Amino acid sequence: METLFTNVRILDGTGTLPYSGSVLVSGNRIRQVGRSTAPITPGGATVIDGAGATLMPGMVEAHTHISWNDAATLAGIQTMPLEEHVLWCAKVAKKYLESGFTSCLGAACAKPRLDVVIRNAIESGQIPGPRYLAASQEITVLGGLGDETLPHLPFPDFSFGVNVTGAEEMRKAVRMFLKFGCDSVKLNLSGDNFVRGADAHTTWMTDAEVAAAAEEVKMRGKRIIVHARSNASVKQALRHGIELIYHASFTDTESLDMLEAVKDRVFVVPGIGILHAVLHEAEAFGITHQMALDWGYQQEWEAALESLSKMHKRGIRVLPGGDYGFAFNPHFQNARDLEFFVKYLGFTPMEAIRATTVYGGQIMLRGHELGAVKEGWLADLLLVDGDPLANLSILRDQKRILAVMKDGVFAKSPAMASQRAWGHAA
Amino acid sequence: MADVLYTNVRIFDGGGETPFTGDVLVQGNTISRVVKTGYGQRSPPGSSALAGALVIDGGGAFLMPGMIEAHTHFSWNDQPSLDAIQRMPPEEHILWCAQVAKLYLDMGWTSAVGAAAAKPRLDVVIRNAINDGTIVGPRYLAASQEITVPGGLGDTTLPHLPQPEFAFGAVVSGAEEMRRCVRMFAKYGVDSLKINLSGESITGMPGEMSQFTEEEIRVCVQEAKAWGKRVAAHARSTWSIQQCVKQGIEVIYHASFTDTETLDMLEANKLAHHVAPGLAWLINTSHHAGQWGLTPEITKKMGYHRELEAAIESMKAMRKRGIRILPGGDYGFAWTPHGTNAKDLEYFVKMVGMSTMEALLSATAWGGPMMKMGKTIGYIREGCLADILLIDGDPLTDITVLQDKSRILSVMKDGVFHRAPPLRQGRPLSPLSQPAPGAPNRWAT
Repeated sequence: METLFTNVRILDGTGTLPYSGSVLVSGNRIRQVGRSTAPITPGGATVIDGAGATLMPGMVEAHTHISWNDAATLAGIQTMPLEEHVLWCAKVAKKYLESGFTSCLGAACAKPRLDVVIRNAIESGQIPGPRYLAASQEITVLGGLGDETLPHLPFPDFSFGVNVTGAEEMRKAVRMFLKFGCDSVKLNLSGDNFVRGADAHTTWMTDAEVAAAAEEVKMRGKRIIVHARSNASVKQALRHGIELIYHASFTDTESLDMLEAVKDRVFVVPGIGILHAVLHEAEAFGITHQMALDWGYQQEWEAALESLSKMHKRGIRVLPGGDYGFAFNPHFQNARDLEFFVKYLGFTPMEAIRATTVYGGQIMLRGHELGAVKEGWLADLLLVDGDPLANLSILRDQKRILAVMKDGVFAKSPAMASQRAWGHAA
Repeated sequence: MADVLYTNVRIFDGGGETPFTGDVLVQGNTISRVVKTGYGQRSPPGSSALAGALVIDGGGAFLMPGMIEAHTHFSWNDQPSLDAIQRMPPEEHILWCAQVAKLYLDMGWTSAVGAAAAKPRLDVVIRNAINDGTIVGPRYLAASQEITVPGGLGDTTLPHLPQPEFAFGAVVSGAEEMRRCVRMFAKYGVDSLKINLSGESITGMPGEMSQFTEEEIRVCVQEAKAWGKRVAAHARSTWSIQQCVKQGIEVIYHASFTDTETLDMLEANKLAHHVAPGLAWLINTSHHAGQWGLTPEITKKMGYHRELEAAIESMKAMRKRGIRILPGGDYGFAWTPHGTNAKDLEYFVKMVGMSTMEALLSATAWGGPMMKMGKTIGYIREGCLADILLIDGDPLTDITVLQDKSRILSVMKDGVFHRAPPLRQGRPLSPLSQPAPGAPNRWAT
């Protein structure tokens, strides 16, 4: 099947300024990209006249928790029964795709197999959803971020993450997740400011524990991803050769130098949306601004902006996405990270687009074929009403995302007159 | 939601009369107007009353109530054994159920009565997800797992693996274990409790044999009633059918082996029970399961051929006595795959001697009480809920058209198109005519 987009402004993701032209999709790949001076012959292709709309690569969400159920607490996520939880994840996966995220990188799930099962269901065509890399639960330590057991209810089933103590327990936990088929194993190397007694400055795993995990994961060809807010945790991750670092709020010259030294391999995904949300948008859910200040969120916000701006200047790849799925930071407004990058981290809009497209393809481990409008690359494309470079906020407006194509197939078809006639019937 | 006006359709209204040509107006989730058109009829409503309505010219197509499946197992996963169903992990299993729920609606079943689930909460969760719009599916009544005895139908544990997690059903022994089991399912929110009162030849215990004590059954019914739940029984044996009547078990599945006494009992209480034989299982296990190792020689030895004959005789006798027999049953095995359920109507006509009209009524008007919805569904009548199929062809002439998805032109549930009728013209070029999964125009197939 072939689809020809004509009369579109092509924002190809690489940093090239948009240009008018046509794009021919054949099967699941982009076969031809033509400037307007060299129109493409449609042949038997379905022709979509873009009428000047922007055609850009599908966005990549680099830190996705499809099983976070828009509850206000980890316990509120964890206590959802398994059956409902799977259906929730399926619903969220579909909506991410329709929102323009044609790829999502799972950053942890709330029960052992949720991510894996959803990835498999997407790949087999059972449910619609983005390209997805499945994560494990968060592996943590007693009392750390993700240990939701209570003193009188110490059962593992009550825990949000998996609690391990010692290298051998770590090895066992990692092996279990690899057995289940995870693409990534998530370690919580640092705390988080909403956890009493385990704030964002704390770092708790022993090097032996992290080394055991790194060894097992490497042996099976999978990836470790880490929650690392503290400076010490960022350094610990880099010491163990871990290449995907979430948050990285607190840094110093040493950790920045360490990051820069491996900038061709390492990705940083800060998930700054949730810091902003906790500070300014969580009152309705019981977190007043004063509480957020008391917990240290303002301090972390300022530190994160400084750290991430420096990383960006040093050429370290910083990607949008992260930690959507809480009541105060709900799913599907993820694209606002792009605006935050421009407003707070010194990105140009073009750099923000590049981060969610070209860098996105790289973080999905498909940097050679995913994330740009290029001949031969995978046909993950968005048709957008407007110019994202002039106004990034249109990327989080469902109505402005006119069409979403994943792997050459429309997940959201462009509206047509005869289709609109049916719209009101349903 | 705009109003929908079907014009120029042949209406089968569920009353048992010959279809008539007319118009049907749907407003909200309700059928608000049914009028005969053509020579000698009063004029159709004026256009002013229909402002904004979507008008569908049926071109003479057959319009009928959505069908009602009386014995549904969403969680049976088209596998050849109970073990293979039971071993599916819960995460995959719930996605499977969601997929099957949509398939039923695709195939024109706008209501389905859950007859048992393969894990404790599957049916309840699917019902809730349909009702809150998380997934699409028919109106649904959720069942428990099958409640059985050690060694009975549904106890798939092995001697060295006795853990309840290995069991297909919920295994109880004694009145108090029964009580606890019923309470657990009531807590989970089921609409009905399923109890296995007889054997099943494929498990080694023939269908003529029975299980459970009268006391256990009594406690099951008592507890279910205390929680406002219905009881449904797997009852192939004569004794088990009689137990259903004696103890007030509303839904009788199978009812293969009857005698005059049993038929008299059923006839005397025919408004208090629903009978759904699930003939598809007997027919296809007997004759069409060879590919899975169950050759006709083997299934004959198991006793299925004898049971099929007995079941047909029982159903014929019940039909003559005016006991209503409902379609559906035990689809979801490898040789009775989901989606082929309308074969039951063909079996009713060919094997039980029903007229096509009776078969159609069994899938529509007779199903309302089975869904606990009385006469609000199963009819094309003013005031009824708008569960409506548009069929290319005449099921009264050829009942098998209902097995063919392409002949089911559209499916409406509760006033909303699940599948809208195809447009004759102005149809956009692909890919819109073949939407990807998840595309907003999910009905345009």
